[in-house]
Amino acid sequence: MDGSGASAVPVNGKARTSSPCPAQSSGELRANSVTSASWINPDQPRDVSTLASYKDSYQDILNERRQDWDFVFMTRTRKDVPKYKHHVPRSPEDIKQHVLNSDRVKYTVERLHGEKKTSKAELLKQAEAILDEMAHALSMKSVRGFAFFLIKVFKQLFQRVYVNEEGVQMLRKMMHEYPVLLMPTHRSYMDFLLLSYVCYHYDLPLPAIAAAMDFKGMKFFGWLLRHCGAFYIRRSFGTDWLYWAVFTEYVQTQLRNGDAPLEFFVEGTRSRTNKSYIPKTGMLAASLESYFKAELPDTMMIPVTISYDRIVEESLYAYELLGIPKPKESTSALLKARSVLSDDYGCVHVFIGDPISIRQFSNGKIDRVLHSLEPRYINSVNKDEMKLINDLAFHIVRQQQRHLVISPWSLMAAILMQNREGIPVRQLVKEADWLKRQAYNLGAYVDWPGDLSTDDIIRRNLLLHKNVLTVSDDDMIELKLVRPGHVNKPIKDDILLNAATNLIVASYRNQVTHLFVRDALVALSVNSCTEETMSMDELFQKYSLLERYLSKDFVFQPGQTKQDFDLAILSLKHSGALVIADNFTHISDIAESKAAPNAAIVQVKKSFNKHTTFYSQMFEPFLLAYWVVCQHLLSIPIDVHGRPLPKRAKDLTKDVQKLAIRLLEENAVKHYEILSLDLINNGILMLMDVGTMYKDKRNNETWLSPNSVAVAAVADELGAYIELPSIPISNFTSSGRSLVMQAKL
Amino acid sequence: MEEQRESSKDGVVSPSIAVAATAAGQPPPSSLSRLPVEDQPSSIPKRRQELLKWNGWGYKDSKFILNKNGHVEFTGERYRLSGHVMPHLREWMSKTVGIDLDQKTPAQPELTAADIPLPNINDAFVEELKRSGISYSDDPTDRLFRAHGHTLHEVFVLREGRFARIPDLVVWPGCHKDVEEVVKLAGKHNVVIIPFGGGTSVTGALECPSHEKRMIISLDTSQMARILWLDEKNLTACCECGIIGQDLERRLTEKGYCTGHEPDSIEFSSLGGWVATRASGMKKNIYGNIEDLVVHIKMVTPRGTLEKSCLVPRISSGPDLHHVIMGSEGTLGVVTEVTIKVRPLPEVCKYGSIVFPNFESGVSCLQEVARQRVAPASIRLMDNEQFQFGHALKPEVGSFLASFVEGLKKLYITKIKGFDLTKISVATLLFEGSKEEVSAREKKVYEIASKFGGIPGGEENGQRGYMLTYVIAYLRDLGFEYFIVAESFETSAPWDRVLDLCRNTKDRIIRECKERGVQFPPYATCRVTQTYDAGACVYFYFGFNYRGVANPVELYEEIERCAREEILASGGSISHHHGIGKIRKQWLQRTVSEPGFGLLQAVKQYLDPQNIFGNGNLMIPDSKL
Repeated sequence: MDGSGASAVPVNGKARTSSPCPAQSSGELRANSVTSASWINPDQPRDVSTLASYKDSYQDILNERRQDWDFVFMTRTRKDVPKYKHHVPRSPEDIKQHVLNSDRVKYTVERLHGEKKTSKAELLKQAEAILDEMAHALSMKSVRGFAFFLIKVFKQLFQRVYVNEEGVQMLRKMMHEYPVLLMPTHRSYMDFLLLSYVCYHYDLPLPAIAAAMDFKGMKFFGWLLRHCGAFYIRRSFGTDWLYWAVFTEYVQTQLRNGDAPLEFFVEGTRSRTNKSYIPKTGMLAASLESYFKAELPDTMMIPVTISYDRIVEESLYAYELLGIPKPKESTSALLKARSVLSDDYGCVHVFIGDPISIRQFSNGKIDRVLHSLEPRYINSVNKDEMKLINDLAFHIVRQQQRHLVISPWSLMAAILMQNREGIPVRQLVKEADWLKRQAYNLGAYVDWPGDLSTDDIIRRNLLLHKNVLTVSDDDMIELKLVRPGHVNKPIKDDILLNAATNLIVASYRNQVTHLFVRDALVALSVNSCTEETMSMDELFQKYSLLERYLSKDFVFQPGQTKQDFDLAILSLKHSGALVIADNFTHISDIAESKAAPNAAIVQVKKSFNKHTTFYSQMFEPFLLAYWVVCQHLLSIPIDVHGRPLPKRAKDLTKDVQKLAIRLLEENAVKHYEILSLDLINNGILMLMDVGTMYKDKRNNETWLSPNSVAVAAVADELGAYIELPSIPISNFTSSGRSLVMQAKL
Repeated sequence: MEEQRESSKDGVVSPSIAVAATAAGQPPPSSLSRLPVEDQPSSIPKRRQELLKWNGWGYKDSKFILNKNGHVEFTGERYRLSGHVMPHLREWMSKTVGIDLDQKTPAQPELTAADIPLPNINDAFVEELKRSGISYSDDPTDRLFRAHGHTLHEVFVLREGRFARIPDLVVWPGCHKDVEEVVKLAGKHNVVIIPFGGGTSVTGALECPSHEKRMIISLDTSQMARILWLDEKNLTACCECGIIGQDLERRLTEKGYCTGHEPDSIEFSSLGGWVATRASGMKKNIYGNIEDLVVHIKMVTPRGTLEKSCLVPRISSGPDLHHVIMGSEGTLGVVTEVTIKVRPLPEVCKYGSIVFPNFESGVSCLQEVARQRVAPASIRLMDNEQFQFGHALKPEVGSFLASFVEGLKKLYITKIKGFDLTKISVATLLFEGSKEEVSAREKKVYEIASKFGGIPGGEENGQRGYMLTYVIAYLRDLGFEYFIVAESFETSAPWDRVLDLCRNTKDRIIRECKERGVQFPPYATCRVTQTYDAGACVYFYFGFNYRGVANPVELYEEIERCAREEILASGGSISHHHGIGKIRKQWLQRTVSEPGFGLLQAVKQYLDPQNIFGNGNLMIPDSKL
């Protein structure tokens, strides 16, 4: 494969679309927007915008609150709160008692007593301590108080909070019939606050929320969240069987009795990159075990998608991704964060998705009878069930993604990331309009008000994100440096500041990557081809390979590669991006084609066009970052055993970042994203996944050392798809023994 | 059908109570150890069609009708409910399953000889049979009457269609020797035998395999109904297989004994049938199930007669062959004689009932009763739907006083105890034994009940509860007239799974109905009918209104199949006492494992290599054609 293949095509999307653009007459961005800058007026929250309070089945729930008294809302009676039909009322304290007296905990105590010779009383005390640390203390009183506070915050932060009411009605019905798992996307702390608030607003039962330990440390806030339904679980509890038992029983008993809908984030943690994270299965497995063991007739999983125009933590995330540590969660930090209250964060869309029934999803895939031979309190989720849970988790993330509301700004960010040196507003308008159409064609819901001109929409969004960009007098848009608010030491390094801005904008671009990624894998494959034509089989092979490489950064449903591929081909064909011909010139060829059904071939030249170029460009930074990871691994000196010395993954990540900084300093690469620790780490995980790393367990940590030959092969493969840095990287032998790289840098 | 379905020919409601009445004046056991028991005619005639309905359950004279006032009435004088009007029932039916009295589905007229296919006669066989002097008939209605049991499918065929295959000849052997002769001849001429006892199968076990090309004879055991002897020293009785439950109990009662085996089908089902299906009786807590009751079995197989050489209480001689015979469902041979344990009649029989605030607390109570091993002869727990049904079946209250008392009871339960009438669940009890035993047991049971919030509900309600069991079977025929298809099925489950199993199965039924386009809410209800140390037996009733549904029976079977899947997933069994027959074959191998299934087939292969007993039940593979 020829690494320079990609550079043969006009790689820059701008190259085709940018024409000399006369500067817009209006210099001042604010003056140009529909309403004047005073449209954000904290003192007059009633008349916030001209945005519709009802659109496309979304209803704004803040509107009413702007008309009436918050106090009345806080104290009103909640009517017809739906309850699971087999629910038996009990208090949070009753739940705790149930857990401590449960067969599961008793059994585990017996077992550990036998194994570790710890006294039963001691073990029970431990169990109680775990439970005290974990359990929520949901009370309506606290919820009401909290709602009062939340409504004020939301009114400050957001223009509109839209909810699809059909989803709410469906949820209301479901909550009566079956236990419900609420599974929202996780992009911000606001997620669970918003969802609880939505439940309060619609007189739905408040969910019990699985939260990470971080919050627990916060003095007042931690206490408050606990009383509003948050329960705290450790991030990992390995072989702490007592913890497992208490945790599992605590989750399952609430589900079985329908005490409250259970809310957790299948992505495990807030996505710092705004992309969906690869789902975690622990909570899901613990929740669904009850169904596998027929303790429940069914369980309904509700994917909830929360889309933000602007994320409150955007700059925090950027610095965290760069490795500048985030402040520990504390109440005082929260109070300091009050400064965010003065900013405008646009609209929020909450989409409550169609319920997924585990009964239907698992039909024919598992055999629940297998659990008949053991008491049900003994933990046992079998292989088929684990596979099912994994598929399900991916399915849920895909469902969440389907209902993401694409804000115009995400589309703009995708364009800006390909025009980092600046783009005239007029061109941005044109490009955004084009990209919007592509998004529509891929089935996305784009929040594009029909009654405003594209120009207005773009300018509104520029205004909303004025913290990361400037519009010059000649109407050029340029990114500006964002200074971190939370870091005491001022950061002088321009590279880091630039990187921060880039990561913020990239994070909004990331909100659309799930739409384009499949098409892009095809585009990348086609664009890397140096031949005239390409067979479908070859294209699929390349596609599969790329999918494997990108599978830590993007969510691909396991076992769906072929379907995804076919769909991508279809959509590219229909939008005219991919030119496919049947290479029949003679009648005889048609006869032969029966033997080879994939006789269709891609006309490579004709398929170099705006679509494929744009899509390829969008994903180039990811592949580049993996390539940089490979280069670093190849530069590690070889130890006496013929292998590089093993290192911990997190140290490796730091080292790769250092290399990336050098490359940026030397202007060898332009993508600041390669500094993202998340991206680098995913590169390392990917390399582990494709079997190019030796793994060691030391002190319960994984130590890694690369298999240089294999890593070099991956680097070669990656190089075929992207434009490589033009620094002289000499003497790379296939054995990867060369150390020249480090010397040069 | 399950458990007790007692007759009251002698005007007494329950045989148990009748027994108690006669027990007092019983002469002391005679010094003769083996009493000859004189022959008496069976309660069911040789021509069954003269007494029994041809296309429904039970006696011709007993059925639910809509009387001239538009109320439901139960006809005849056999049962306690006979001749009574049930004023609440009509409303219950329209409310629960959406019956519309203007929408009727009457059955087809009685089939005549012209409607019934000609028999496929093996002349050589019939020639030899004639010479043996054994009674037989090729009368069309005789044959049709033995072509089916009482599954929904079979009764629906009788009401609406034709069977693809019915027996070609009915044979009535008079004794064990006759059976040996018939089996020998069948082997010689390659003729299929389907044994027929009381005809109460609910698993499709009596249906003829539709592809069977050989002549099929129905071997009706009804003329082998004698009690051969009664051994008062060892408390055993040797009976022929064809004796039906009510005759067996009545005749033993005359001698001061009983077997205590009272399945719901006791009026019609036979001893041989009980053995062949591993039957269970409602009073098994005292007397045991059929496997606890039999001491000796004779079974005629194509290889010869299978039996043990002694009449001993227990034996260690390799795997117990009784357990090969019991539950063999007519696939290996014909059970001809059974020696069964008998007990002296109990001094006292007393009903009782307990009202629980909900089904959950009721199940907990039953479990505790089982744990302490203080269960009365019978203890059953109805869920709320069944309680409501029982309530709807209440006959008109005669006097002002009676209705006043009713009102007071209701007031007490709802207002003073705070029970929710849409949640309560009722346990019915039957105590048997000596006066002291019964009162001590009663005290204990009610004591446990009170710990679970249960309050005594009176003898009357208990008795009504047991009556409800047999009434449901008749009620199905009324439902058939108004677009209702209904059926029952049972399972057994460990205690810790009982509640979840009930809940999941009901939920599954309701959901499947909804998803498959049933227009009206289905009726799905369950009760716990037996308790054991390690678990319980659960009985489901399920029916729905099929207006607007194209193929109700197929739909019903599909949903019952889903319900069984749910039961199995919930840790329940394939069957507690109905058996496998044809309708549950699909789960047999999964239940008994592959080697287990192979073992059953190997037994079949050895005993009956020609597949003479080719009724297609259990382990017999479906014929490929």
